Amino acid sequence: MTADTLDPLIHVPARLQIVATLAALPNGDALSFTRLQDMIGLTPGNLITHLRKLEDADYLTSEKTGSGPASRTSVALTHRGRAALDEYSKTLRALLDGL
Amino acid sequence: MQGTYDRGTSESFKDEGGLDPGEAARLLERTGREARRGLDFRSPGLSLLAAVGVLVGFGAVWLSVRGQHPYKGPTPAGLVVLYAFVLIRIGSVVYAHRRAQAGISGRSVQRRQAEGAALAVALVAVYVVMAALASDGAGDGVVYGVYVVTATMLVLGTFGAARSAVREDWHELGVSLAVVIVAAGSAFAGPRGVWLSNGVGLCVVLLGYSAAQAWLLRAPRSDA
Repeated sequence: MTADTLDPLIHVPARLQIVATLAALPNGDALSFTRLQDMIGLTPGNLITHLRKLEDADYLTSEKTGSGPASRTSVALTHRGRAALDEYSKTLRALLDGL
Repeated sequence: MQGTYDRGTSESFKDEGGLDPGEAARLLERTGREARRGLDFRSPGLSLLAAVGVLVGFGAVWLSVRGQHPYKGPTPAGLVVLYAFVLIRIGSVVYAHRRAQAGISGRSVQRRQAEGAALAVALVAVYVVMAALASDGAGDGVVYGVYVVTATMLVLGTFGAARSAVREDWHELGVSLAVVIVAAGSAFAGPRGVWLSNGVGLCVVLLGYSAAQAWLLRAPRSDA
């Protein structure tokens, strides 16, 4: 088994941080974009880019509420995203055990 | 895509490069741990404050009733100190909770509101029964001593135990059950002693919880 077997969508520092942070929320909860940015420390543009990649893969969903300056975007991990992180963690452990 | 991001502000990836498995495991563990800490309002400091507050609050009431023969109930001065502790406790928990839960929405928010309503109804019921006992002619020592303290702490303890069992939070379950045991055991101390027994017992439980929380927060850092 090699590192190539790890999910390439998650196996990137910024996206791994995003997925691991959202996985700390209870199932069914969402986190606002600004709080996620505070917790991870990415620039807004960089965070948006990574979120879009994860959303394209159906690993997370986003919802925008309100309009104008009061608008708020929240993101949440989907079941598929949570399962992908579980699988990634298992593969990682197997890789490390094999070293 | 169902996204709602502003596509015009996106930047190019800065870290598309992969990680070696060891780095990835450390990053995953550290990020998860920091996220759980950041989203949890509980802290050793908050538990320590509660430990001191419960000792001072119940201690003040005990000082106000220990010389009463016959027992009449807590004096206004004792109750002022006790209620000041209750208000400080509520204020500190609300502040820490709002800070930790900022930006979170979803099912857990609704669940917490329902839990809060259930707890409020249970606590009001304790005082309704207290009024019923007083009107039925029960002694002041039972109504304003043993019953009111024991019933309040039993409600808080069992509520905390049920809530933590559902969430599989074994540390908090242990603390909640310890609160129930202290409250039930203190009922044997009589109308005066029940205040002191609860104050000292709950202070010890909360000091232990605070120490355990501090140890759990420090423990993972050594291998990070």
